[in-house]
Amino acid sequence: MTYLKRLPKFEYVSPRSLDEVCGLIAGTSDDEVMLLAGGTDAILQMRRRERVPRRVIGLKGVAELEFVRERADGSLAIGAMTALHTLLSAPAVSQRYDLLRETTAQIGGPELRNVATIGGNIAGALPCADLPPALMTLGARIRLSSQRGDRWLPLDEFFPEFGRTVAEDDELVAEISLPRPASNSGGTYLKFHDRHSMDMTVVGVSAFVVLDDDGRTFRDLKLAYANGAPTVFRARRAETVLRGHALTDEGLEAVAETACAESSPRTSWRANGEYRLELIRALTKRAIRLAWGKASSRKGTKP
Amino acid sequence: MIDLIPVSLRVNGVRYDIDIRPWRTLLEVLRESLGMTGTKRSCGEGQCGTCTVLIDGKAVNSCLYLAVEAQGKEIATIEGPPAGDPALQQIQRSFVSKGAVQCGFCTPGMVVATKALLADNPAPSEDEIREALVGHLCRCTGYVQIVEAIQDAARGMQDAASQMAPKGSD
Repeated sequence: MTYLKRLPKFEYVSPRSLDEVCGLIAGTSDDEVMLLAGGTDAILQMRRRERVPRRVIGLKGVAELEFVRERADGSLAIGAMTALHTLLSAPAVSQRYDLLRETTAQIGGPELRNVATIGGNIAGALPCADLPPALMTLGARIRLSSQRGDRWLPLDEFFPEFGRTVAEDDELVAEISLPRPASNSGGTYLKFHDRHSMDMTVVGVSAFVVLDDDGRTFRDLKLAYANGAPTVFRARRAETVLRGHALTDEGLEAVAETACAESSPRTSWRANGEYRLELIRALTKRAIRLAWGKASSRKGTKP
Repeated sequence: MIDLIPVSLRVNGVRYDIDIRPWRTLLEVLRESLGMTGTKRSCGEGQCGTCTVLIDGKAVNSCLYLAVEAQGKEIATIEGPPAGDPALQQIQRSFVSKGAVQCGFCTPGMVVATKALLADNPAPSEDEIREALVGHLCRCTGYVQIVEAIQDAARGMQDAASQMAPKGSD
């Protein structure tokens, strides 16, 4: 009867700056202190008593973590506390990062997107999170901040095992950076779930395609999965199968086969592992086809 | 013992200065401390939408929002401001006249979400309405009448707006 439970007791602090947050988490452990971003998942975890922090640090008042900015080098910088709704309405996102827009629009309903944040979706380290696969295929890097300073790392190195990240206890995800996609590229995120838009993802596949200059072969293909393994991950071997080749049915079968071999989906009440593998197989092929179509239609257009 | 935190909440344009425990959700504080029981509690997980309120004009699940974090923001609930809110009233009339209310439990959340939708998009298509209400469950009506009610409310609000416009303007 989770829904009847109230939240466990905690102390609450509301820092106003990133420096202040870093000071508050320095020397603490994740068990005693919880960072609360949008809270749409964190509050549920507390209600279920999966996490019972002594102290909650609310991040909603840290205005400097809320931004969507195009940098001089053409990359896109996104503050960790940027709400999904804000991402959807950012012109830079709809103009240049269609894969990110498409993925964000598939998460929850308006009530959730108005509150949930990109940083929370990443730092929660859930295998079913939808943004990490899309961000990984877009080549995202994340900035971790602490009193010791900042460090950047590729998002695809961030989740070492289920429910964990490589961030130290005194670090938080502060910023996400995306390189500008090549002009002859396209991506798509497909997810399977029971109820349109609202339910948890059973399997999610993000495919990002870059075409060669002639538009006939794959220069690059990136694939990442939600709920394909205990963490979100990139299927690196599957990504190489079609590189340098044209799009063919046999090629797609080979990619899907390799992606399945790299996956290790779990069995839960939502779906068993074999079923999830079938989804990975089907959605991988479909996502690559769609991404290829998008990249082809965009070929020759100015970035 | 964790101290009570003094907060000042603005709900429907009225300011309430209260002391609350930090672990209480906005839903709990609205219902239990402020006596505003129009906002309903059901799933407690952000799936059903009955607890929807507006924070700074945006629809939010109040069961997943700490009351302390709503300080300084403008909260709007189904109760509406004391002087009345023409948009809320129009939506409620349309829900009644189109038969969009049966047991009524989901209605406050639906109505409040509709207010946010129509403020952003005064003439939504059926698809846009269904997309906006995807986080709301109704176990009685099957949604058809709810969609019709929202279309009716949109027309009603546009008619009211055109009557308000000064003559000769376009």
